[in-house]
Amino acid sequence: MKDDYLWDKTGQPDPEIQKLEEILGTLRYQPKPLQLPVSRRRNYFPLIAIAASLLLALVAGGIWLRARSQRIPQPRQAEVVLPSPTIDEAKPETIRDKSKNAIAVNRPHHRSVSSAFSRREREEALAAKEQLMIALRLTTEKLSLIHRKTQTTTPANQIKNQHRVG
Amino acid sequence: MKTLSRMKLTMPLILLLALPILARAQDARLQLSSLDHLAAKANQTVDVNVDERLMKAAAKLLSDKDADERDVKKLVEGLKGIYVRSFEFDNAGEYTTADMETIRTQVRGPGWTRLVNVISKKEGNVEVYLLFNGEQVGGLAVLYTEEKELTVVNIVGPVDLEKLAKLEGQLGVPELEIEKKKNNEK
Repeated sequence: MKDDYLWDKTGQPDPEIQKLEEILGTLRYQPKPLQLPVSRRRNYFPLIAIAASLLLALVAGGIWLRARSQRIPQPRQAEVVLPSPTIDEAKPETIRDKSKNAIAVNRPHHRSVSSAFSRREREEALAAKEQLMIALRLTTEKLSLIHRKTQTTTPANQIKNQHRVG
Repeated sequence: MKTLSRMKLTMPLILLLALPILARAQDARLQLSSLDHLAAKANQTVDVNVDERLMKAAAKLLSDKDADERDVKKLVEGLKGIYVRSFEFDNAGEYTTADMETIRTQVRGPGWTRLVNVISKKEGNVEVYLLFNGEQVGGLAVLYTEEKELTVVNIVGPVDLEKLAKLEGQLGVPELEIEKKKNNEK
């Protein structure tokens, strides 16, 4: 048997070699123009938008909180004298205010109530309480003016006034 | 499609950013910082800032045994803040109407109602404003102006006016205090 077919494809073909040719032929070099893969850019816009939204929200929230905290000065800025450190030694303390009527007095409290607080918290709470009392005194003081003014128009006062004049 | 998806992303962002503004829409808290410059002219200043956290802390210290404190405790339950600016001057005309207008413009906003307006040349003017959130009272503002005094009280939260009225005269503020002073002057 000649091997010419295997060498230059002349002569009688060997069926086994033909079968192998068919199988391997699919892998034969086939010249074709170079085709670069189409660059399929992924759309990152939604991700960027979400990230930007979160970032903006955080920044806006931060600014808002900061502005809010600046608007609300700490109570220590108010003209309040902080209470003494121990409960037993707590003496009535005053708040520098415009009139004696607006003086807040700290009364000693039960240790059981205060024990739940840390020292700092207790001081803060006492200062807040004093401020609260001042605020309420001022409010009631102003409201009492309204009360007086409205009372002066009642018949009872008219009678009273008549009695005074008489 | 792209525009639609962008809008879908933008809308929550806008809503997210608008949340603080929407939350403040019905806020009873007044901006009192515009009055701070008066502190330099005043001979007496009262500056009270008690927010919700401090209010709760203070409420814990209010005794149930003391009648006055018990009433105060009942009053402040549920309140979110009390803010006061009070200035007393040596001379008249230290503050301007513009100073008060910065506050009045706020209480002219939606939800606010002027409850009382007392005008007295001798004792000063008092205006009481209430903020209603539906049928509930959401806040109170008291504006007091006198020649030598300017006071603004702002209570944030559901104020019970009946309870507040009960405190009148209980907290060391005799109802006839001003009259007494005037009698003494005479």
